[in-house]
Amino acid sequence: MNPGFFGLEIAVRGLYTAQRNLDVINHNVNNINTPGYSRQIANQSASRPIALLNGTGMLGTGSDVTGINRIRDEYLDFKYWSENTTYGEWECKKALMADLEVTFNEPSNSGFSTMLDEFFNSLQELAKDPGSEAVRALVKERGITLAKYFNNMATHMEELQVDLNHQINTKVNRINSLGSQIQQLNKQIYRSELDGNVANDLRDQRTLLIDELSKLVNIDVHEVVAGKLPNGKEDKRMLITINGKPFVDHYDLTKLAVKQRADKLNPEEDVVNLYEVMWEDGNSIQIRGGELKGLLDIRDGNEGENGSPLYKGIPFYIKKLNQFVRVFAQAFNEGIIGGVDMEGHADGIGADNSTGVRFFTMLGTGNLPMSSSDFISNPDCYNELTAKNFCVSSDIINDISKIATSDTPDQIGNIENINKLIKMRNNTHMFTEGAPEDFMKSIVSNLGIDSQMAVRMSANQNAMIRQVENQRLSESGVSMDEEMANMVKHQQAYNAAAIMINTMSEIYDILINRVGL
Amino acid sequence: MRITNSMLVNNMISNLGKNLSRMEKYQQKLATGKKISVSSDDPVVAARALKLRTDVSQIEQYKKNVKDAMSWLEITESAIADVGDILQRVRELAVQASNGATTPEDTKKICEEVKQLKTQLVNLGNATYAGRHIFSGFKTNQKLLNDDGSFAIDVDSTEVIIYQIGIADSININVTGGDFFNGGGTATTGAFGTIFEDMDNFITALDNGDYDVINETLGKLDIQQNNLLRIRADIGARYNRLELTDNRLGNDGLNFTKLMSENEDIDQAENIMLLKSEENVYRASLAGGARIIQPSLVDFLK
Repeated sequence: MNPGFFGLEIAVRGLYTAQRNLDVINHNVNNINTPGYSRQIANQSASRPIALLNGTGMLGTGSDVTGINRIRDEYLDFKYWSENTTYGEWECKKALMADLEVTFNEPSNSGFSTMLDEFFNSLQELAKDPGSEAVRALVKERGITLAKYFNNMATHMEELQVDLNHQINTKVNRINSLGSQIQQLNKQIYRSELDGNVANDLRDQRTLLIDELSKLVNIDVHEVVAGKLPNGKEDKRMLITINGKPFVDHYDLTKLAVKQRADKLNPEEDVVNLYEVMWEDGNSIQIRGGELKGLLDIRDGNEGENGSPLYKGIPFYIKKLNQFVRVFAQAFNEGIIGGVDMEGHADGIGADNSTGVRFFTMLGTGNLPMSSSDFISNPDCYNELTAKNFCVSSDIINDISKIATSDTPDQIGNIENINKLIKMRNNTHMFTEGAPEDFMKSIVSNLGIDSQMAVRMSANQNAMIRQVENQRLSESGVSMDEEMANMVKHQQAYNAAAIMINTMSEIYDILINRVGL
Repeated sequence: MRITNSMLVNNMISNLGKNLSRMEKYQQKLATGKKISVSSDDPVVAARALKLRTDVSQIEQYKKNVKDAMSWLEITESAIADVGDILQRVRELAVQASNGATTPEDTKKICEEVKQLKTQLVNLGNATYAGRHIFSGFKTNQKLLNDDGSFAIDVDSTEVIIYQIGIADSININVTGGDFFNGGGTATTGAFGTIFEDMDNFITALDNGDYDVINETLGKLDIQQNNLLRIRADIGARYNRLELTDNRLGNDGLNFTKLMSENEDIDQAENIMLLKSEENVYRASLAGGARIIQPSLVDFLK
């Protein structure tokens, strides 16, 4: 026995269900190219049946859409975030190491080895014609070129360090901005989900923001269950920590901040007032991953000296350049090689019978080259010499006859002293690495290997996150074919439901208008 | 695995990017002719490149030094050869003067000629190479001899000028004035070298017609000739060594340049082939991409 217009009721439900499904498909198709979007499906089930009293059993009442869910494997998100942190770090290092490599510009015909070769070749020419003013001028100019090369390198690296410092500030601001956006989304998601629904699109947006955040800094993401909601569902709250300390804790946000350092981390190599990254509340933080770590490692890295990051960054290479000019200048000026005092430029005698002249000194007041006597009057002079202030002494610049070639006064053709200087070119005791070019070779191969490692790590991590990204897209991405097939399916269901209404309508037409006439 | 449209597009873009970056690498190699442009391309090649560049540059410099040493020795040799000729002429004149058949007229003429030859000898003793006095030891800016043949400066036998002709190889290129004009001794300011003593004695003897001394001169001139031959032989040996070194440096230069090229230059033919094959891969992936992206069910629903 059918109650009233029950048939129409069922058919209308069919229409609604099909329409709801088409709405969801419509939404999916619209968002096929939306970044971070997860496809949604309508959960459809048969609606509650009616128990028939005459013992026929249960009569179906059509279908209902009970919820709209997003298809997402959250495990893949966690995996993506942890791989993305490493990727961010190496991607950043890759670009910066490439910068450093270009600074060194080796192997080339204008790099360090060429400068040194040319300087020593000019000394050889002078040894063959020690009285020639022209060759003496050449030695002076080649010496100045060599010194300027180191000045330029040091200046370029300092500029890079300052530039990185600004970048660090920008990254910290971006991290804070992402944090506050996530905090806002937390509020919206939590409120929308209080009644047991899932805030699909908001959650997608939040995941996208965390994707970006995970590339910048090492984060751990948790959804903490804090008891039960009144409707019986779990009360889930989002917690993002950096090194275990909460960054975004549900509705709360503890920002990161930068503060200018009072003392330099690397006293000799750093420029002044670099930023220290810390918590806004003043607590210190050790960044362990992401682009921020990449920037900090390159800006501060000095092989772990003075608590700097355990990486060979800008301070390391400045340190090496300083080391080079100190040892080289001391060997060339004083003849001190490997702790043994031999004869250097200061022990020789110039064409004007001057003696005790240091060929290389440092830039003094007004950024002008110091004279040999001013330079040497400071007992700590060689420790204060750096790649940035390395220069040819003012004595030599003002009077090329002071270039010491001889070891006895009044002997213009005497080349005993300059021959000793020339031999330093191949003295393998000058540096622990060997001769001057061996030292530089070790710097360049160090840089090459580190840069190569950064390139490889970044390529590996890129492959890794692409793999995870593909898995995510495979799981959550919208497939046009699938949506179209479903569209046809639900369109047909809609058509069928409409025809059911027609049929029911005819039945009622017969029942109402024709029966009994 | 479920394949979605975004996956297809992402994979295609990333693969195209990879292909392009490989192509760019080969193109860069083709354009520069070098295997590496920065040290991270291959740190080992980069480190070797540095070393080889230095080696090549040093060899070039040593070659220049050898050439300069050779010209110095050539000038010295020609001065010494001239001195040899003069001594020979003086000896002939001494033989002529000693046979007792010469008239005082003849002796006077011989005396005049010997005086001229002495002046010539002084000029040779002050010979220069590129403005530098070659027999003056370290005092290359000063004349060795006064006009009367006495030494104008001190030249010690230790004043040898050494040129570097290899990393651990050097050669002395000068002959000190004392060695040459004072029979292997040193030069002292104001003193006369043995050659000039002999000449002066000869001239005095000619003036006085002292035939004993003229006869003695013959023997002394032979001693001078021997000293000169010793020095000429020494210079010859040194020159010979320089020639050998020059040859060796020439070979080393070639070898190191070849090594440098093998180390850092690309094989053009191979590189062009690889570039071509990358180009094909790129074209294929573009064509494949165009096919994959195009159709979906949308195209077939009416």
